[in-house]
Amino acid sequence: MSRPAPLLPEGDAREAALFFVVCALCFLAALAALSARASYSAARGWTAEVEGQMTIRLQGEDRRGAAEALDIVQATEGVESARILSRDEVESLLEPSFGAGGLPAGLPMPLILDVYADPEYRDMDETLENRLADSGIGALVDTHSDWAGDVRRALGVVRLVALSTVLLLGATAVAVIAFATHAALLARRDIVEVLHLSGATDRFISRLFERRFWLLGLQAGGVGALFALGTTALVLSLASARGGRSGLLPQLSLDALDFLILVTTPIIAAIAARLAARMTVLRSLKGSL
Amino acid sequence: MRQGKREAMSDEAVRLDNVALRYDSAEDVLSGVDLILKPGSFTFLTGPSGAGKTSLLKLLYLALPPSRGDVSLLGRRVSALKRDQISALRRRIGVVFQEFRLLDHLTAYENAALPLRVQGLRASDYRADVEELLRWVGLGPRIDANPPQLSGGEQQRVAIARALVNKPDLLIADEPTGNVDPEMGSRLLRLFGELNRRLGTTVLIATHDLTLIREMNAPVLRLQHGLLVRDIEFGGEAV
Repeated sequence: MSRPAPLLPEGDAREAALFFVVCALCFLAALAALSARASYSAARGWTAEVEGQMTIRLQGEDRRGAAEALDIVQATEGVESARILSRDEVESLLEPSFGAGGLPAGLPMPLILDVYADPEYRDMDETLENRLADSGIGALVDTHSDWAGDVRRALGVVRLVALSTVLLLGATAVAVIAFATHAALLARRDIVEVLHLSGATDRFISRLFERRFWLLGLQAGGVGALFALGTTALVLSLASARGGRSGLLPQLSLDALDFLILVTTPIIAAIAARLAARMTVLRSLKGSL
Repeated sequence: MRQGKREAMSDEAVRLDNVALRYDSAEDVLSGVDLILKPGSFTFLTGPSGAGKTSLLKLLYLALPPSRGDVSLLGRRVSALKRDQISALRRRIGVVFQEFRLLDHLTAYENAALPLRVQGLRASDYRADVEELLRWVGLGPRIDANPPQLSGGEQQRVAIARALVNKPDLLIADEPTGNVDPEMGSRLLRLFGELNRRLGTTVLIATHDLTLIREMNAPVLRLQHGLLVRDIEFGGEAV
């Protein structure tokens, strides 16, 4: 026995247009969600690199004093490693300011200690500065915290923008689907009226539209997510062709969490479409007898 | 007490008390209509075009609420019902619309089975009954045809099958013989009469066809300018 025909006729050109709109919104929402995720990873990766890292610039040029300072630093609880930077390393640090031609041999070079301390130890810069001062060694400790704070703040803004974009696109999709449901309800008013007069309840009629828009959300969301996957893969392959960096988002990648975002995109789109359809139909039908 | 009142009301299949209906225009389409139809009665409704026959029927098949007055159907006061109760009441009312109102994307069989399908019944439970009914109205070979492939008379018979498929307590028909030849018209009226006699279905038929009215020898109500003005020829306790 063949399946009975659906009570709502198959989709028309309006639904094709709606499919395209929902698909585009899901594509943009998935990309925005991936960007939010990437910015979060980038913030974590970048700040993790500099957390606990510090440099100590010793005043004066006494290398014996430097060895003593190194001993004091290494003996401090919480310091995991410390070493004196070689002249070549200091020169390479100064290269952006003085060029690659090399510095004159007689030019006094600062003595710098490269230190890595456990990030759990708070105010390590002050501790080291005080201990060195107690031993009569003048030193300036730089924790890069200003730079790390700037990075965190900048990526926080990027994340906020990306999440706001996801929410805005989601809300737009719900509004578009609600509008489309209302239009479909008006276009199918004759059918809805016959169903009503045949004894169909509001929930029965609402379920017909819900099923239609659930499928539309699932399919359009799926296609949108696939396009987002393709776009991300393209960006990654272009980045890898240019040396493994992805422009502003060096952490952009495709891992399990990214795939989870892509897989849930059509499901969220379908649920949103279904709820929007239900609310619109039930509210509209309430106006009739 | 409530049970007693329900019992008392169920002595009337249809009761209209001082009912008026007004669309967007300022003028009443129906005005001060009082009507009682007993359960199991068979009544014709007639009147000139524009008199308000279709509007009165719309009130009775719950397509519109009255602007004023009370409508009670099958013992239930409509204004006191919740939406789901109205849906349940509609299932007890069969309607043959003047313009058929079939769904073009469904077959004749699917159209006729619609009132059963919206109740969530399984096709396997009703398929044989619906096919039997369609054969009875002469559409046996056409059950898989869609309405656009059917003649006006065939579409009307699908609409009639849809109205009867639920074995309704109240059958309302708006010009049900308007698109069929006289022989089929007589046959359909005999069907309505048989339903009325065998199942006790209350039947109200709006028609211009005085020949059919005479053939059935049933009470006739007459609407004129929105007023239920008189009951002609056969007298009647209906009004």
